[in-house]
Amino acid sequence: MATELKSKVTYIFKKREFGIFLFILILLAVFGSLEPRFFRSDNLSAILSSVGILMVVGAGQTLVIVTRNIDLSVGSSLGMAAMVMGMVARSRPDFSIVGLILIAMVVGGICGLINGLLVSYGKIPSIIATLGTLAIFRGAVFVVSDNVQIDPNDVPKGIIALSTTSPIGIPWLLIFAFLSIVLVWYISSQTLLGKRIYAVGSNPEGAISRGLSFNKITIMVFVFVGVLAGLGGVLYTARYATINPADVGRGLEFDVISAVVIGGTNIFGGSGTALGTALGCILIGILSNGLTVVGVSPFWKACATGFLILAAVAIDNLVRKRQEENFLLAIRNQRTVK
Amino acid sequence: MMSSMVNSKSRFSIPGYLVGPFLILIVAMIYGSLGSEYFLQPSSIVFNTGRYIEIGLLALALTFVIINGDIDLSVASTLAASAGVLAKLFESGVPIVWCCVASVFTGFILGLLNGLIVIKFGLPSLVVTLATLALYRGLTQVMLGDGVVADYPESFVGFDQRLVIGGSPGLPAPLALFIVASIIFYYILHRSNYGLKNIMSGSNPSSSNFSGISVNNVRLIAFALSGTVAGVCAVMITSRLGSTISNVGLGLELLAITAVVLGGTDIFGGRGAISGTVVALFAIMAVREALVIQDINGQVQDAAIGLLLILTVLVPRIRSYYVEQRNRKKRFNESQTRT
Repeated sequence: MATELKSKVTYIFKKREFGIFLFILILLAVFGSLEPRFFRSDNLSAILSSVGILMVVGAGQTLVIVTRNIDLSVGSSLGMAAMVMGMVARSRPDFSIVGLILIAMVVGGICGLINGLLVSYGKIPSIIATLGTLAIFRGAVFVVSDNVQIDPNDVPKGIIALSTTSPIGIPWLLIFAFLSIVLVWYISSQTLLGKRIYAVGSNPEGAISRGLSFNKITIMVFVFVGVLAGLGGVLYTARYATINPADVGRGLEFDVISAVVIGGTNIFGGSGTALGTALGCILIGILSNGLTVVGVSPFWKACATGFLILAAVAIDNLVRKRQEENFLLAIRNQRTVK
Repeated sequence: MMSSMVNSKSRFSIPGYLVGPFLILIVAMIYGSLGSEYFLQPSSIVFNTGRYIEIGLLALALTFVIINGDIDLSVASTLAASAGVLAKLFESGVPIVWCCVASVFTGFILGLLNGLIVIKFGLPSLVVTLATLALYRGLTQVMLGDGVVADYPESFVGFDQRLVIGGSPGLPAPLALFIVASIIFYYILHRSNYGLKNIMSGSNPSSSNFSGISVNNVRLIAFALSGTVAGVCAVMITSRLGSTISNVGLGLELLAITAVVLGGTDIFGGRGAISGTVVALFAIMAVREALVIQDINGQVQDAAIGLLLILTVLVPRIRSYYVEQRNRKKRFNESQTRT
């Protein structure tokens, strides 16, 4: 019985991601047939590098949303990490690249730790805590940088090279994106920690009464998304080569949360996959690039994203309802057979 | 019976939620007056309120939505779409009065749409209004492009400069409107049938449903109200700025939500007060103006508001934690002496 239910559940999970995949294929076909230039390699690589940053941060955000929390401050943490890294690079040009990446990840991790402590021990609802830190970290970027931007000359060549050069034909930026998705997939489906994260998300009271440390897991996911936002800061610097205190990562939280929700993660926690988030990021990237390439006014982009989120959530809801009905039916049938 | 429940003194005898905002207000006043001796002059205070009245009205309406346990992130975008409709109609030669009516009506429709999507599809309001935040802003951008609509008639522009009561501090029209609106909303939330239903359906939706309150209708009305107020604010902001562009009111939703939460309304619903929202609005205003006087960067002003938001939630938690621990220790000592 257990295996049968499990296969059923995994089947539906597969189906949900399959739907997004299908939609991506349709979009590709539409954009490609309207404008053959869409499939040129430089355009595809432009899509992929903008998707890469989204994917790195989205991977972390998935786990946060799975635990019934939300992190609105990712854009500002990304900015903070990028700014600190840029300032270190400016004052000490001979600093190693790996060291710079680690600095960014540590700064991001500290931002995440602050969020995690506020949400877990401070017992502040995550939406309020991160709404506050969204503004605080952005203010901190200004205070730290004294409102001076990091110019392309001051960004080390090695960092910029992350978005162009590669060991195996794929830029480092995409390798990092791929690795963070794989990492989240591994944590969520292969480790005990992942099971605990999902348990806390789907039934907090139950998880606590089973002896799981609610606070520890909450802090862990927030630090995790912070570290990934720090990595996102490195990739942002690699792609844009300037770090402006007002612009760096602004509004990123909206795109990231959209991507995660489109990817099928339930905003009320307990379900969601890394693969879905990756597909959601790709979908948003293709949509915003394709509209421009096809020649639709860029003003339609926000409309399209809004529609997409609504459609994704509505379909998701229908699928979930049917899934629950099937689940109940299956249990009832099992009982009558016995 | 119902009115006695609302009027009962125990509910509002110690408004703990007002302590934080009032403290912030006083500290900001002192800090601002250190920066300039003109800061505390009544006329400058009254003059400064003009820019915050839209946020205040949005926050008043959002209080109802948040008490229901919902959230409306799309208020600023609804405002923009209403302002866009106003501008487009004005451009095509419709008299300005009808433009204003259309703007308020647009706000009502968009708010109703939010509510209908949330209720009919049973979706979380956080996600739905996140989507309509993009959708309505996108509609505004499609309507207006990157153009500017200006040249509004003299009689329409400069609503915030008009005085209801003349004199040296005077009473500007927006402030008067805000005072009237707060009194009306106070009566709706704390004295009317709807307000009681609002608080009850926020604190326990399923039992409210069983006791004959149509929770969905209550939520729908709150969403429509929030949209309508956004439409009214669109008229005000157009009159104040004298022009319309597609990013009008960008980011106002965060300030409005901050005002509501700072005023002690529970983000999970069931608890909240209009007085809290009003005092919190003035606290936010005082903090921002004090920082402006001290010549501090706008982003850092936002950071200060964010910090205050966290502290007002965190400090009472820490206090109650220590009180509880002290009580536990006392109980432990008592049990020790008994044995």
